[in-house]
Amino acid sequence: MPETLAGPRTALAVRGLSKTYAGNLALDSLFLQIRPGEVHALLGGNGSGKSTAIKIVAGVVPADPGGEISVGESTYGVSDWSPARAHAAGLRFVHQQPAIFPELTVAENLAMGAEFPTAAGGRVDWKALHERTARLLAKYQIPATPKTPMLALRAADRVRVAIVRALQDFEHEDVSSGILVLDEPTAALPDVEVDVLLQALRGYAAAGLAILYVSHRLDEVLSVADRVTVLRDGKKVDTVDAEGLTEAKLVEMIVGRPIDHAYPAASEVPSDNAEVVVRGLRGGPLLGVDLTLRKGEVLGIAGLLGSGRSELLRMLFGAYPRSGGEVLLEGKPYQPATPADAMKAGVAYVPEDRQADALFLRESVRHNLSSGQERSYFRKFLYRHGIEKSDSQKSISDFLIRVVTDAQPVETLSGGNQQKVVMARWLRRRPKVLLLDEPTQGVDVGARAEIYQLIRKATAQGTSVVLVVSEPEELAHASDRVAVLRGGVITTVVDGPVDAHTLTELMNTEIRTGAMP
Amino acid sequence: MTPPTSRTSNARARASQAPLPEQRIADEPLAVVADVDEPAVVPHDLAAAVPAVAGAGRRSPGFMTSEILRRYSLVFLLVASFVLYSTWSKTSGVFLTGDSLRVMVAGQAVIGVLTLGILVTMVAGNFDLSVGNIAGLSQVMTASMYSHHGWPLWVGILFGVALGSFVGGINGFLVTLLRVDPFIITLGTASAILGFVDWYSKDQSIVNGIPQGLVKFGNNNFVGVPDIVWVLVVVAIVIYYLLEHTPYGRNLHAIGSNRAAARLVGIRVERSIAMAFTINGFFAGVAGVLLLARAGAGNPQIPPTLALTALAGAFLGAASFKVGRLNVPGTIVALLFLAVNITGLTLAGVANWINELFTGLSLVFAIALAAVLSKERKVRQRTAVPQSEQAPSEKTRK
Repeated sequence: MPETLAGPRTALAVRGLSKTYAGNLALDSLFLQIRPGEVHALLGGNGSGKSTAIKIVAGVVPADPGGEISVGESTYGVSDWSPARAHAAGLRFVHQQPAIFPELTVAENLAMGAEFPTAAGGRVDWKALHERTARLLAKYQIPATPKTPMLALRAADRVRVAIVRALQDFEHEDVSSGILVLDEPTAALPDVEVDVLLQALRGYAAAGLAILYVSHRLDEVLSVADRVTVLRDGKKVDTVDAEGLTEAKLVEMIVGRPIDHAYPAASEVPSDNAEVVVRGLRGGPLLGVDLTLRKGEVLGIAGLLGSGRSELLRMLFGAYPRSGGEVLLEGKPYQPATPADAMKAGVAYVPEDRQADALFLRESVRHNLSSGQERSYFRKFLYRHGIEKSDSQKSISDFLIRVVTDAQPVETLSGGNQQKVVMARWLRRRPKVLLLDEPTQGVDVGARAEIYQLIRKATAQGTSVVLVVSEPEELAHASDRVAVLRGGVITTVVDGPVDAHTLTELMNTEIRTGAMP
Repeated sequence: MTPPTSRTSNARARASQAPLPEQRIADEPLAVVADVDEPAVVPHDLAAAVPAVAGAGRRSPGFMTSEILRRYSLVFLLVASFVLYSTWSKTSGVFLTGDSLRVMVAGQAVIGVLTLGILVTMVAGNFDLSVGNIAGLSQVMTASMYSHHGWPLWVGILFGVALGSFVGGINGFLVTLLRVDPFIITLGTASAILGFVDWYSKDQSIVNGIPQGLVKFGNNNFVGVPDIVWVLVVVAIVIYYLLEHTPYGRNLHAIGSNRAAARLVGIRVERSIAMAFTINGFFAGVAGVLLLARAGAGNPQIPPTLALTALAGAFLGAASFKVGRLNVPGTIVALLFLAVNITGLTLAGVANWINELFTGLSLVFAIALAAVLSKERKVRQRTAVPQSEQAPSEKTRK
């Protein structure tokens, strides 16, 4: 009885949610309960089922039959669940990088999520819009006026505006009927902004809003969450109170599983000869990076999104402007102004987003393999298509690419095979230095293992590799040494055997306690 | 980097851009958390992308038949139109005569050279609306240099062609270094050239003192085929060689397919595009000289639809042979298709407006076809993924 008087004790509950992808159980009978006014964190590594769970709750991915989703006092079978129903039930989602229009004002940004109020003749009723926006800004305590351009807001406040945009139709209702799902809202925020945002979230929760919070930053989870649910391999490990929880305990819960043997060990101890020496490299987010890459080693770079890890690789490839510092390649100054310069010096780069930055999707596998090398097939005014073809067939077998024919457009290949095409494009030139940005992104476990075999094969032949992978566990296993990039500098270099546990701690715990240079 | 207009206007570029979101979802089925504000697109794609069809990716006989139909549909249409006008009582008397056919193909020589030139920029994801006016400029200046200034003919021709290359180079410079939209900039230069030619020629045709050798060349035949058509044949071979059999041509294809990736494999993107515009200007200059040879007068009033006809030819061409890829043989077939129909309809008594109407509709049709083909391709692509490595991976971006 007292429960009824106090309102529903459950804001959102899911029971028995499962999801099977192509025979693999991505999510195994998840039970989860979120109370009104609670910040509930959902944690888990890659493949833990966390994203699947969120997508099922959002209604964008249908769950396997059998589960239930309850919101307040209504219960729905998963087959009835849809994005529209989720919205009607009071669920609101804010994506990792919410769609914000920086040049527009706060009022306009809010109106994008609802509708512009109109007056006679269909014109925008600016007065009404600005009044409503002012009310919302006051309610959510955002220091801005309706006419402030989004650009002028600090990063945390921009995310808050995105949150308000998602919540704005609760204006006249009570937010305590709402459930806000935040997917890594701090991923792109600098540290100081994170605290501002977290404080705001605590305030919203105090007003009765239920918040499901997905993040990789353990310290911030511990500071904001009331309870924490950890998923691993599609299964729930546990739901525990955040009170009294330590990061060490969380890491144990997340990493806990035995690590598979997907990562071949280095065949021999890398030499001590420095292939690349980086001193005080600056530019963009990098504030003076010092690094040494030894010949034949895999040097991992650990860093969160926005740490400058991708910019570092691009800078070394001449694809990002550097503003200072020096780089030595085999003892000689190396200052590539363009990718072409870098390639001439024997440096290769596999970008993070292979479809946007590496592949020519409609071109054939053969053309994709030889792109950038066409000149070598052009002799005496004739293009040697035959040599190109035999080279591409050799690459296809050397690099384990599964195709029907090399004339097939590369867009018809699976993610793993596409990635192997990109790897092969560079590896067949025997580069001195190979820069890899998330080479296994969107690649299944089998192909991932093959990609790491290819990398090891290359290092055995003397190639030195700089590897950026955001998953600590994977990075730890694939690298000989790992450098932690944070705040624009390398804070730590972990020599010798690296374990995921340490790395997770280094990437996460030091994030706000370490002194800035 | 790529201006939006060029992206939407280029069949190849668009088709290569379009599959991206879905492809990404297919690769990382779990990577997107939908914002409920915009839920409509995601579930459909996810549902369609996830199931893997076992054994797909092999080519069935039915698939091959439909592939042949797709590839050669324009050739069949060309043959069908040809047969139609050869047998239709209204046109059969005149259509199938040597003279009529010669006039028809000779009439396509100028536009053909223009189209093949514009192909070079289009392959790299750009295009040039000023080619018609560059041709007009080259025509008037060549005529003027010879008849007003008494330059030797070959110097006049060289001057016209060089001027075309120069203006093309300016287009290329503006498009690449200032990073402006090729659509807008070439529309602007087109108008500027038109104005300049009007001013220079005082809007008068140069009819006196046109070199007879050139005019003779424009109206002579060699082995039964007009001389200027031989020029077209040579240009076609040169462009085909350039686009398909040189590293430069391959680089242009790469740029058109994915500019960012092209840069990251070491292609000098800006330089290549600027060069493409210069080459395009060069061939527009050649087209101008052919125009002069054929018309026997330096007329500043060139048809305003020349550039659009060239675009129509190139786009229609992309719908045959290598479907979805701009290619020389397809372009030639497309131009013949346009010529046969316009000639046939004119012979049937339809007035001159049929030229613009038919060209315009063909352009619209070609663009629509390109859009449909790229959609179809996406569907086929989903079912053509080899079933291995279809297991989902939950690598999300952090």
